[in-house]
Amino acid sequence: MAKIEIDGKEVETLQGETIIQAADRIGAYIPRFCYHHKLSIAGNCRMCLVEVEKAPKALPACATPVAEGMKVFTKTAKAMEAQKAVMEFLLINHPLDCPICDQGGQCELQDLSMGFGADTSGFIEIKRAVPNPDLGPLIATDMTRCIHCTRCVRFEEEIAGQRELGAMFRGEHMEITTYVKHTVKSELSGNAIDVCPVGALTSKPFRFKARAWELTQTGSIAPHDCLGSNINLGTLRQELLRVTPRENEAINEIWLADRDRFSYVGVHSSERVLLPMIKKNGEWQKVSWQQAFEVALESLQKVLNKSGAESFGALVSPSATCEEHYLLQAFMRGIGSNNIDHRLRQQDFSDQQAAPLMPTLGVNINDIPLQNAILLIGSNIQKDQPIAGLKVRQATLKGTKVFAVNQLDYHFNFKVAEKLIVKPKQMVVALASIAKALSILTNQDHAAKTLFADVVVSAEAKAIAEQLCAAEKATILFGLQACNHSQAGLLRQLAALIAELSGKTLGFLSEGSNAQGAWLAGCVPHRRAGGQLLIKPGLNAAEMFQQQLAAYLLLGIEPELDCADSTQALTALKQAECVIALTAFVTDRMKEYATVILPIATFGETSGTFINITGEWQSFSGVVSPQGEARPAWKVLRVLGNVFQLEGFNYVASEEVLEQLRQIAATKVFSVKKNPLATFAIGPVDDNHLQRITEVPIYSIDSLVRQSEPLQVMQQNEKLTALRVNKHTAEKLHLKAKQMVTVKQVGSLTMPVEIDERVPAGCVLIMGGIKETVPLGAAQGLVEVLG
Amino acid sequence: MVKTIIRIIKSFTLWELFAGLLLTGKYFWKRKFTVQFPEEKTPVSPRFRGLHALRRYPNGEERCIACKLCEAVCPALAITIDSEQRADGSRRTKSYEIDLFKCIYCGMCEEACPVDSIVLTDMSHYHIAERGENILTKEKLLAIGDKYEEQIAAAREEEGRYR
Ligand code: SF4
Ligand code: SF4
Ligand code: SF4
Ligand code: FES
Repeated sequence: MAKIEIDGKEVETLQGETIIQAADRIGAYIPRFCYHHKLSIAGNCRMCLVEVEKAPKALPACATPVAEGMKVFTKTAKAMEAQKAVMEFLLINHPLDCPICDQGGQCELQDLSMGFGADTSGFIEIKRAVPNPDLGPLIATDMTRCIHCTRCVRFEEEIAGQRELGAMFRGEHMEITTYVKHTVKSELSGNAIDVCPVGALTSKPFRFKARAWELTQTGSIAPHDCLGSNINLGTLRQELLRVTPRENEAINEIWLADRDRFSYVGVHSSERVLLPMIKKNGEWQKVSWQQAFEVALESLQKVLNKSGAESFGALVSPSATCEEHYLLQAFMRGIGSNNIDHRLRQQDFSDQQAAPLMPTLGVNINDIPLQNAILLIGSNIQKDQPIAGLKVRQATLKGTKVFAVNQLDYHFNFKVAEKLIVKPKQMVVALASIAKALSILTNQDHAAKTLFADVVVSAEAKAIAEQLCAAEKATILFGLQACNHSQAGLLRQLAALIAELSGKTLGFLSEGSNAQGAWLAGCVPHRRAGGQLLIKPGLNAAEMFQQQLAAYLLLGIEPELDCADSTQALTALKQAECVIALTAFVTDRMKEYATVILPIATFGETSGTFINITGEWQSFSGVVSPQGEARPAWKVLRVLGNVFQLEGFNYVASEEVLEQLRQIAATKVFSVKKNPLATFAIGPVDDNHLQRITEVPIYSIDSLVRQSEPLQVMQQNEKLTALRVNKHTAEKLHLKAKQMVTVKQVGSLTMPVEIDERVPAGCVLIMGGIKETVPLGAAQGLVEVLG
Repeated sequence: MVKTIIRIIKSFTLWELFAGLLLTGKYFWKRKFTVQFPEEKTPVSPRFRGLHALRRYPNGEERCIACKLCEAVCPALAITIDSEQRADGSRRTKSYEIDLFKCIYCGMCEEACPVDSIVLTDMSHYHIAERGENILTKEKLLAIGDKYEEQIAAAREEEGRYR
């Protein structure tokens, strides 16, 4: 709480602050390169030298702690001279060819050399040259430009939690590189581009495409996870060229996941549908919107007349906007069908009546690092919601204990204090044993006690229970793998029980960017918009495929990749008489089952609203016009409503739809039917069969990322099409690594074996969400391995 | 009174007519300075700012590195550049267009160019007959550069002394 003076201005400083932090707070500018307010202090560039009264030499402002009565001068002759001298040294080895550098116009070195650089140099010797390491398809390197501030190294180590970059050699020979040649794998690696003050690290997909000064920046919301990271879209002449993070301390701070940063490349994919298409006599024809709507009306009306509205179902992406969700459910209910769902990967819907209005995190995003303990249930938080993973990591650095109950032993970038890695079938038992341990520990005479009589409390479960109880602040996070588990309902009840017994909060992480909006807008079979209960609920996502309806409407999805059971989805769609697909991308498989394809706008092209996991409504607008004849999905749905002569489809702007949804959300009374945990059965654990565990790779979660070429290249080397087993299982089955085997589930597929110690014994891990594994079928099922 | 008398005399002797004819006669016998355009041309300053050109290096490589400084500096927003990474990894323009209807021939683009790529030649004799011809594309600009390189280089050489 020392009082200091900066350039004659008095400043109250905070405990442990350095001069530069105090100066930044009052807006006194001190030039800097290595100092970054989100990273640790390195003090190695010396650009921030300032004069301090009574100090014989200029001192680095970023590394000098404040002291009572200190008098700092940032613009005196002495300070300026020191800063100019540092700049001269920095420019000695830096190439002076800004015109061909991609950072030109957004470069901190360029800016500061305008203020502190000399226009001539006394250096006539040869400049050094440094080889460029290949960091993969996302980051372009130009290491001769590096000024060794080590921001990227500190970012990788402190924020991303992966030591992938480092400084090698010393003095003039210093190089920033990977120790062993490899691509940078961190899911947050793109942020190194932002922290690098010069053009040493730049974005590869954006390379040489445009200058920073000519881009129009418009705020938007990231479309791939439930946090709703704030972003800026950079456009030039109606083309989306760049996505960068927009600072929002409450959500993503200044960071952004690579998935959100580079998925925009998919917008320009060659698989974009540019014109409406209809299937005529088995041939695809490009037609006008008018014709396409006519065909849609005709073929759907035929089905409705024949088999009634109950045989018509709609499946929608959880990443569609609130407006689209609302209009789609209005359309379906207008036609008389309640078969609508966004929970595509879910398998168990048993507790849907008891679900809250929408899944929420329970705490604020920024409260995650403040917890003393975090229990992850079925969550690969680091890959599923990278920014949330970053917060959990921040927490562990402060000493938070993280516990994980998972089906796979994920290699998180944070320390996991206790973990229970169990087979999918035993997830329930694992949670029950924690619940039992808690009820014994807290001495609560819960009805559950009798239910769990057979459950054995393992040492890990006991340890988790004890530490969870002991923590002053703790939260339980229910992840996607738990949510998509075949006993998800039971797991959710057990998680709630654990929260109740320990007195901690329970939060949910949800699929896609707007599952909240989907719940609220009524894209579920059992509730209307605003959560009003329906007396007779429609079919859920799984039932719609099981019962093989006569007509389907798909919005922004590829069911064989986005749904829980790929083969079931494909069979159902192929037998259907009418499939109307509203989609931005068309695949060969889609051409096999669709009747009408209506091209819709995708990321950056449509206005809309996402509700994030903390209930924040974040609206955004379209920044480029949709390609070809594509139209925003809300407009297509609105016209579809008109074509079917439904009431109330007269909106002229997406804001009107949003306004209506807001009104419904504000006025409608929402109620749930809670059913107590009455039944509890430990399913028979079949040890002779191999249980399939499915993971959706980080860059396969929705159609936009699947279309983004650099992200696909990122995971090309990951050997996604493989049968992963641990060593123990491999020995038991006499399998060797790299051996080709035939895997039989619904269909069969030949793939190599990979030894993966993350997989529990008796289980195999096969990726989902990728084209190659579609023939296999359901995400959880029994497989056979034929040598 | 006197003035009126002088006026009367002048008008009756056709004085002004003869004064005028005297001037005509003077020029009639003088040396003529009419330039017979287009057979003849007036000399042009090396600083003249006419039609644009994109130059190449002697080895044939185009000079332009797509830095977009000319585009940024152009006060008339006459230049439009699309840049890309060429197969060999270098920074190049995908398209480079100057709209002659917008251009005010200020020469700022030439001043801004770090590699002496875009230049204003001394050509002023061109016309635009059809819509669309006002856009100078990269191919046209390079062709102009190729054709007049000698002249362009000579003019820069001469001007270089004053820079
Ligand atoms: S690559 Fe960039 S961030 Fe990393 S040390 Fe060099 S200049 Fe700093
Ligand atoms: S001469 Fe002037 S107006 Fe014409 S293109 Fe160059 S900078 Fe623009
Ligand atoms: S003409 Fe010159 S200034 Fe313009 S983009 Fe090319 S190199 Fe840059
Ligand atoms: S900013 Fe202070 S030494 Fe680099």
